[in-house]
Parts: sequence; C-alpha cells; structure tokens
Amino acid sequence: MRDRVLYNLVLFVLLIVACAILLGDLTDGQEARTIVNIGLNAMLLFGVFIAIFVGVGLVSKEIDKRTVFSMFAKPVGRGEFIVGKYIGLCLTLLVNVLIMGVGVSLALLYVGGRGLAGSIWGAVMLIFFELAIVTSIAILFSSFSSPALSALLTFSVFLIGHLSSSLRELAATLGSKLAVIFFEGVYYVLPNLANYSFRTEAANAMVPNAPMIMGGAVYAAVYVTIVLTVAILIFSRRDFK
Amino acid sequence: MKKDAIIASIVIVCGFAGVFLLSSYLETNRISVPESYADEDLSLQGKKLKGYALGAEGLVADWYWMRALQYIGDKVVKKGIESLNIDDMTELNPRLLYQMLDNATELDPKLMAAFSYGATVLPAIDPQQAIKLTEKGIAANPNEWRLLQYLGYIHWKLKDYEKAGEVYDRGAAIPGAPPFFRMMAARIRTESGSRDLAREIYKQSIAEAPDEQTKTVSEIRLMELDSMDERDAIDAALDEFRVQTGTCVKKWSDILPLLAKIDLPHNRKLRVNNADEIVDPAGFPYLIDAATCKAMLSPDTKIPLR
Repeated sequence: MRDRVLYNLVLFVLLIVACAILLGDLTDGQEARTIVNIGLNAMLLFGVFIAIFVGVGLVSKEIDKRTVFSMFAKPVGRGEFIVGKYIGLCLTLLVNVLIMGVGVSLALLYVGGRGLAGSIWGAVMLIFFELAIVTSIAILFSSFSSPALSALLTFSVFLIGHLSSSLRELAATLGSKLAVIFFEGVYYVLPNLANYSFRTEAANAMVPNAPMIMGGAVYAAVYVTIVLTVAILIFSRRDFK
Repeated sequence: MKKDAIIASIVIVCGFAGVFLLSSYLETNRISVPESYADEDLSLQGKKLKGYALGAEGLVADWYWMRALQYIGDKVVKKGIESLNIDDMTELNPRLLYQMLDNATELDPKLMAAFSYGATVLPAIDPQQAIKLTEKGIAANPNEWRLLQYLGYIHWKLKDYEKAGEVYDRGAAIPGAPPFFRMMAARIRTESGSRDLAREIYKQSIAEAPDEQTKTVSEIRLMELDSMDERDAIDAALDEFRVQTGTCVKKWSDILPLLAKIDLPHNRKLRVNNADEIVDPAGFPYLIDAATCKAMLSPDTKIPLR
C-alpha cells in the first residue's frame, strides 16, 4: 500500500466501465465476450506490471535505504526476509486480482452476460498463478541485480515464458537439431506461462478443467519454490557493505 | 512568482489554441490517397500471431472483428451511398472484409459472430469467400448447427438448391439441431425458389441471429418478400384500373377502394399513410411507373431495389 499499488484498480474500473458502456455498438451485441477479453488481458497486464515494478523494488529498496540492517538485527533470517516479501506481494496481487475479477463480473452482469460472469473465475485463478510465478522471478533478479535490469530481465522471462511452447513447436519444424535442443532447454528451464493462458477460451464461456487448475497450481508452487530457493541462496551470500 | 504563473498560463492557452488551429489545418490539407492505398493500413497477417500473442489471441480476434464491422460502414460513409444494395456490395470494393474475418476466426475459431457476419454479408461480395469462411467454421465447430444453417442459406441464395438441401441434411444429423433442418432439406428440394420457403428461411435466421447485423439483414429480406407480394397485388389492381378506364392511375387515392379489398398472403393488408399513399413494409410510399403502369419502390427505401 505504501507504493500505492492498488491505484491501478481505479484505472481498471474506468476501463471496464467504458467497455461496458461503449462496446455495445462497436461489437454488434457481442460486448460480453469483448469485456472478458479486455478485462482478463488488462488484469494480467496490470498484475505483471505490479509484480515486476513492485517486486524488483522490494529487496533493493531495503538495501538502498539501509533498513535491511535493522531488520537483520532482529531474529529474521535472509530466507525468511525473501519469503516474507514474496508472500506479501502475492497477497497484494491476490486482492488486486479478486477486485478486478469482481469488476469484470459486474460489468458482464450489466451487459447481460450472466453466464460469463461466473465462468471467468477459472481463468482469473490461472492469471493469479501466473502472477505468482512472475513475482518470484522479479524477486530472484532483484536479489542480485539493479532494479532497472531486474525489471527488464523479468519482463523478458514473462515474454519468453509465453512463447516457449510455440518456439519449441517452431524449432521442431525447422529441422535444426541445435535449435530443437536450445528451445527444449528454454521450454523446461523457463516457466511455461502458456499453461495459464485461458483468456480467449474464457471469452467463449469455456471453463478450465480440474487437472488444468490443479496441475497449474502445483506447477506454480514447484516453480516458485525453485526460484525462491535460488533467490535465497544468492541473497544469503550477498555482502551489503 | 505570480508573473511567472501568468506567463505560463498564457503560453499554455496560446499553445493549445495553436494546436487546435494546426490540427484543423493538417486535417483539411491531408493528401487524399487512393482508396486501395487507404485499405493497406491494416496488418492482414494478424492470424500469424496465433501462438505468439501471449495468450491474448481472443483480444486480437475481437479487434479484427470490430474492424470488420466498421469496415463496411466506413466504406458506405466515404462513398456517400444513401441506400446500400445488400445483394451486391462490390461497388464498395470491400476487398479486405474476408481477410479481417479470416484473421478474427483464425485467432479465435469459436468467434461465432464473425462467421455469422461473414455468412450474411460476404455473399453480396464474393459468395465463394462466404462458403470458404463458413466451411472453415464448420470444421472448427462441428457441433454448431447454426453454421450449417448459414451455409445452407448461402447455397440457397446461389440457387444451388441441391447443395443447400445436402447442407440442411448435414445440419439435421447434428445432435441437438432443431427439427426445422429436416423439414428445410425437404422443402428446398421440392419448392426451391418459392417465396414462402424464403420467408421461412429468413424467419429462422431472425430467430437464431446471434448479432444485430444478421437480424437486420434478414428483416430487410423479409420486408423485400412482403413488398414483392404487395407489388404483385398492386400491379394486378393497376391493370384492372387500366382495362376499365383506358388510362394509368395518376395517384394512389384513385384506386384506394380497389386496393382496400386486396387480401395479401399471410392475412396481411396493404398499408396507407396519412397522405393516402400506399407504403412499402419499410414505410416509404410506392411510386407508379408511368411508362409501365406498375408499382415501384421509392429510391429512399431500405428495401433492395431490383
């Protein structure tokens, strides 16, 4: 809240209200599906920006302001510090996503898309899982790099994470063994964020099935654990002097 | 400090005034480019973004869909056409419409409104493109019987009644398809181009229309059929008057009593406005063609003139 993170909600609400009012004519009565598309994509975009720009500052600000010394003077380990920061930002993002989800649902009810108002929540949950992964990546980079570079690297991982499965398929058609090995590596090492893309389907009233949600949750938990472990390892060895 | 604020305010106000004037100047002095050039401003390969749009394919599809909707309207406005011929839109040269709808449906194959719009509008531009788009929709959504309804309609419009009948048969085989598919398959084969069959097709189209565009076009088509019935009846009355008097009717009020007796199909009656003129289903007065002594549509009506 100190970073006025939730101010983005005002912008989001304005966007959704504008969509609900203006899209009727532009889409020839198909405004409900467009509200879902715009709402869910904006939810992800806003969430990613918060995860990146707040996430990369969480650790570096404490170091720059030297508040990290007073913190470690108390019985708080470096691992707990990283995990605490991560959980704090994740909870903020959860609140953010929940409020945005309610906003989209209300806009859908306003335009008569009652079915979609309920069915989007599976996709909303997947967006939150994706944000949880992006947040962990941001904290990892911020544990050893400058905020600007961390933001750039996190955003790159976000982009590649979405493209990795498509690039892997593309590499398979290229006929180059090296390309196949490289993109296979990218596919497995970087998070496969395409697993959490269900926005287009949600606009067509489709709901992710239980294996997709459960599998996505477990994948996110495992990946976040790996990333935070690396972040703690690096942060534990860091010299603040 | 106060002086600085005043100077700054003057600069800002004058600046905006200048921006306003320059904007108008630039707008009016823009070089007019050929229409085909203006059409080029769209990226037509959007469908290649599939798999690379960070999961926002649906949003990009919606953009193409909205562009497709505005495209025809913009063309009509730019060409200054007052009455659009929904049977033949080639004069608008809407050559990008298919690509827009193709992109939209490639990025989101469940975008039924785009298929519906294509099936309704593309036959007036290029029927083969309409068939191609609808077949693509059927391949991606094999259980969507509405798409077969559209395809049957396109073949029926092309007077390929055998093919239309086959398509309705295919539709009837889809689980959950309404019973009218079976009935339509039979009627198309036996009645082929009858007005009653056409009326039935348009009524179903209105009942099942997922968007306003499809509904509006079907409503105009229904009005056209009603108008055809009306003109047949009026022409018969005009003939009768000419046989009796040896001259053609000059104004509608001369034969109103004769017209009032006419019973149109489906228990309808001819409609008369406050000026004692016979009006078409869209509310525009019919005209009398002095040369042929037959009723004709007003150029202002939204019913297709043919």
